[in-house]
Amino acid sequence: MKRTLLLILVLVMITLAAGCGPQVTGTQPTTTPAQKGASSDDTAPADAAPEPITFTMYNVETDAYPDTDFSSPVAQEIKKATGVTLEIENAVSSDAGKQKLSLMAASGDYPDFVYGKGDLSILKNVNAIIKLDDLIEQYGPNIKKFYGEIDIKRLRWSLDDPSIYYVGGKEVGQENMEPNAGFQLQLGAVKALGYPRLRTLQDFENAIRTFYEQNPTLYGQKSIPLSLLADDWRFMITVSNPANFATGNSDDGEWYIDIETLDAVRHLTRDEVKEYFRWLNGMHDKGLLDPESFVQKYDQYKAKIASGRVIALADARWEIDEAVTALKKDEKYEAVYGYFPITIDESVKFADFQSAGYLGGWGMAITTNCKDVVRAIKFIDWMCTEEAQILTHWGVKDLHYTIENGKRVLKPEVKEMRNSDPAWQQKTGIKKYCYPFPTYGNAVKDSTGQYFEAFDTLEEIAARQLPIENEVLSHYGVNTWKELYPQADEFPVKPYGAAWLVNIEDPEWKAADDRILKTGYRMIPAIVMGDPSEFDAKWAEYQQALKDAGLDMVTEQFNKVLKERTKLWQ
Amino acid sequence: MQPVNKIAQRNQKYIFSKKNIKRLNQQKYLLLMSLPFVIWVIIFKYIPLWGWTMAFQQYIPGKGFFQQEWVGLKYFIIMFQDNYFYLVLRNTLAMSILSLIFGFTLPIVLAILLNEITKQTFKRMVQTISYLPHFVSWVIVASLFNKMLSIDDGVVNNILMALRIVEQPVQFMAKPNFFWGIVTFADVWKEIGWNSIIFLAAIAGISPELYESAMVDGAGRFKKIWHITLPGILPTVMVILIMSIGNLINIGFEKQFLMRNSLVRDYSDVLDLYILDYGISAGRWAFGTAAGMFKSLVSIILVFTANGISRKVAGIGIITK
Amino acid sequence: MKRMSAADIIFHTFNYLLMIILMIATLYPFLNVLAISLNNSIDTVKGGITIFPREFTFLNYAEIFKTKALLTSVIISVLRTIIGTFTGIISTAMVAFVISRHDFIARKAVTILYIITMYVSGGLIPEYMLIRNLRLTNNFLVYILPGLISAFNVIVIRSFIDGLPFELQESAKLDGANDLTIFFRIIFPLCTPAIATISLFIAVGQWNSWFDTYLYCSSNKKLTTLQFELQKILLSAQSSGQQDIYGSSDLAQKRVSPESLRMAMTVVATMPIVIVYPFVQKYFIKGLTLGAVKT
Repeated sequence: MKRTLLLILVLVMITLAAGCGPQVTGTQPTTTPAQKGASSDDTAPADAAPEPITFTMYNVETDAYPDTDFSSPVAQEIKKATGVTLEIENAVSSDAGKQKLSLMAASGDYPDFVYGKGDLSILKNVNAIIKLDDLIEQYGPNIKKFYGEIDIKRLRWSLDDPSIYYVGGKEVGQENMEPNAGFQLQLGAVKALGYPRLRTLQDFENAIRTFYEQNPTLYGQKSIPLSLLADDWRFMITVSNPANFATGNSDDGEWYIDIETLDAVRHLTRDEVKEYFRWLNGMHDKGLLDPESFVQKYDQYKAKIASGRVIALADARWEIDEAVTALKKDEKYEAVYGYFPITIDESVKFADFQSAGYLGGWGMAITTNCKDVVRAIKFIDWMCTEEAQILTHWGVKDLHYTIENGKRVLKPEVKEMRNSDPAWQQKTGIKKYCYPFPTYGNAVKDSTGQYFEAFDTLEEIAARQLPIENEVLSHYGVNTWKELYPQADEFPVKPYGAAWLVNIEDPEWKAADDRILKTGYRMIPAIVMGDPSEFDAKWAEYQQALKDAGLDMVTEQFNKVLKERTKLWQ
Repeated sequence: MQPVNKIAQRNQKYIFSKKNIKRLNQQKYLLLMSLPFVIWVIIFKYIPLWGWTMAFQQYIPGKGFFQQEWVGLKYFIIMFQDNYFYLVLRNTLAMSILSLIFGFTLPIVLAILLNEITKQTFKRMVQTISYLPHFVSWVIVASLFNKMLSIDDGVVNNILMALRIVEQPVQFMAKPNFFWGIVTFADVWKEIGWNSIIFLAAIAGISPELYESAMVDGAGRFKKIWHITLPGILPTVMVILIMSIGNLINIGFEKQFLMRNSLVRDYSDVLDLYILDYGISAGRWAFGTAAGMFKSLVSIILVFTANGISRKVAGIGIITK
Repeated sequence: MKRMSAADIIFHTFNYLLMIILMIATLYPFLNVLAISLNNSIDTVKGGITIFPREFTFLNYAEIFKTKALLTSVIISVLRTIIGTFTGIISTAMVAFVISRHDFIARKAVTILYIITMYVSGGLIPEYMLIRNLRLTNNFLVYILPGLISAFNVIVIRSFIDGLPFELQESAKLDGANDLTIFFRIIFPLCTPAIATISLFIAVGQWNSWFDTYLYCSSNKKLTTLQFELQKILLSAQSSGQQDIYGSSDLAQKRVSPESLRMAMTVVATMPIVIVYPFVQKYFIKGLTLGAVKT
């Protein structure tokens, strides 16, 4: 036994030595950006044919249809113009992206570019990403023009370190062209009820009840009055968010922020929100809530919607999109949904269209391992040019669009492909190199007065509306769903961007935040499905549980970071 | 075998005694055969254990070992003071034990029943088909179970209603006290065929002569199962049982994660998910490592205890026979 | 063939019935997956598909076979499965043989050394650093080396070897065979059922694993595996909505792959390994005959 232990010990020593060896040699001397850039600067003057270079990039967004080998027509055009080939690696899942960044930080194996969303700080903490201020000053005239003086302030890192470390990945100049959130009612129901006023939760409830009583079955199956979905994180989308919207807040995730004082509280602690859940509790009590709301999985929920028998929803557009496509395919147009800006009472405005200004906070960074920092920044600078923006939004001229009377017109087959082929971006390259690269949003026009946005312009959206949608809308005296909602100019621009883009690095904060969120997942369903007489007691119990989970610490830290950010951005 | 062991014991005292050197020489092939794998196991399984130091650090990836902030037992204390930890521990052990009772025994029963089937083609068909669900991911299985148990035209409720066993459809997935049972059932159903393979192999290793002589003695079917098949596979059954007991706390989380819903969370959350949520996902490497060490400790205690009991009771162990 | 007694008849009827129920219950999910994979993807959203497609189409499969990385990933998957199983089973059996030998000096130490590995792990970062320092990242060997031996398999094979009469080895030794020869000539062939089973386990594990590709080879398109490509599609479908909470403006750019496509991918990725089993089964029978020869 002793001997074997001795043997093992010797082996451990040998292998430890072997294991550590490469680690020492593995750390490469880091050259400063200036040194690296110098050589390429001489060999690649701006107007000569650019020398080919390959940049690697890690993107924490997943991509089921990656543009492998940078081979799409748009990618090839980018290569022609800049000499750059991108080797992009996408995260496998949203958790995996963060893991990968941690491994990069631990090992020092960074790619040339990184898009890390809120987790870029993992690399920043080990000084793995480089300051861009001077580089932009020297090589980035288009970058400066692209973001403008106001937006570029929103790219700064923090009050302690107010330099720029990334170029923003969110669209510059983005406006919602159609409502993303709201309360949905089947168009057939709206029509049958004689286009009732749908403004408050009470109106909504009356409409649902009346139509439900009149139609116990729809398309041959039992009809469902209002269905919700609480399948894991989707809880936030159809249970938590609607409460925040109905009480007048725009999308700030789980937070409610007073726009005057910038004081933030968890919206689920507010009295107004409590009233929203009292209403839901009543809906359940009256038999107007699908009893499977908190049990069903996403596929069951989609199947119900796609069968055309769910009268009303409280969901986000993207979550029901797939099911609605199936409805349209079956020509069940009456079961398609209208979007209504419903709130708890008339005094509250539905703030879906409130502008957050430029959404800084997330962007693409260049790492200290980058082969050629100057080429890299010049590449980003080129991506900010009008030429590049038209290419990434519209595709290749003559291949994807033609010019008629000086205007770009998409070829019909490209439009068709976008609607039917999930891999259309992979095949064409269109929109593949917009987000998270610098990209213009749908409200920006080029030098000829045309929108950069090719697909979701207001005209295109209006043209896609179903006849029944037009009919319903005309009875409300408007042409689009957007017009039903309070418009952006009725609200002040949020000086902090969006609350869900506020990154807090402290792991203890993240753990407590998660605990608070999941306390809601656990307790709210029981509150809604409970007896109305117990509602207040159960709600109080929930509030206590939130406090126990660390609500005060989470709120305090969040407020501190939010206020710092607002100051930084001014 | 006995005498060899005794010699070995005697020789332990003198490492470089003549006898020992002679023995080393005799066993040079055994040493040669094991050496690469000892080196392998140390490199790939033991060297990474330096990571356990993270449990005592405010670990930030990429910072040097000595630049990390040391926090001592902070994360162990956080974990043991968390009420939620005990809840997930309860759920983990409950589902593990259920899975040990059913998920372990039923494949043995299946293997024995399969062995009794004389038609080879039929036997192979059952084997191949029952092993299929192993390859269907939990996402799909969870979705199937949810649909079957739904009150909205679910097959189980339809049958219960038709047979007048219940008057109103039962919302199975909404009942917290059903959850452990449903998960165990789904697990058994998914893995029964796959888990029976190893026992089928063990049965195949039993010498047919034993059956033939039992036949001559006029033993019936059940006698043969009891006196030949079961003892024949007992060593395999016991070593797998011991190793599974060691894994009681390592439940994974995929099936619970995918089958649960908001109403049953108090019964569905398990340790491995808890560690992921409050460990790596939150960037708390220390917490994740501390919890991992706790699990390892529990596992090792369990496996050696089980091994000890098994050696006393059945004379079979995983370390020595 | 003897005449069957009444008890036998009852037993067999019961047994066959049970097996038929089991087959129906276990075949269903697979048929369901198959049916959905052959169904129009928009129609699938409506749910309610059981074992027959409602709107039959091969389009989902056509889509998969257009995937650029498919061919390389299949080759790598097959290679790692074959090489990994071959090296894995030899190594596993060798360790099992060595620790089955009661006379071996380091027996207990090696056994415990292996058993503990089942229950400890250094965690993600240390393991990654090790692989990186061994220069195994973006290297085919990373599919073979780190997972070469599993202690579970070692113990299972050892328990099988323990069941063989030791006299076989002793008599071979008297004939002048060394331990290496004994292992290859006697132990390995006599363990066929166990070897076949563990080989199957290793092969399935190799075929199904994707996490190592993701961790160590994800930036190398030449080393991508089929399961990794599948996971990319499956996981992006699961998590895409989650990202959309945080980026509603890029919704239009994020098309989730439809369920039917995912099911087709599941079928493509599991079929090859599923059909391996019938080939392994015959070794259970062969083992039996060999077992008869041995005494």
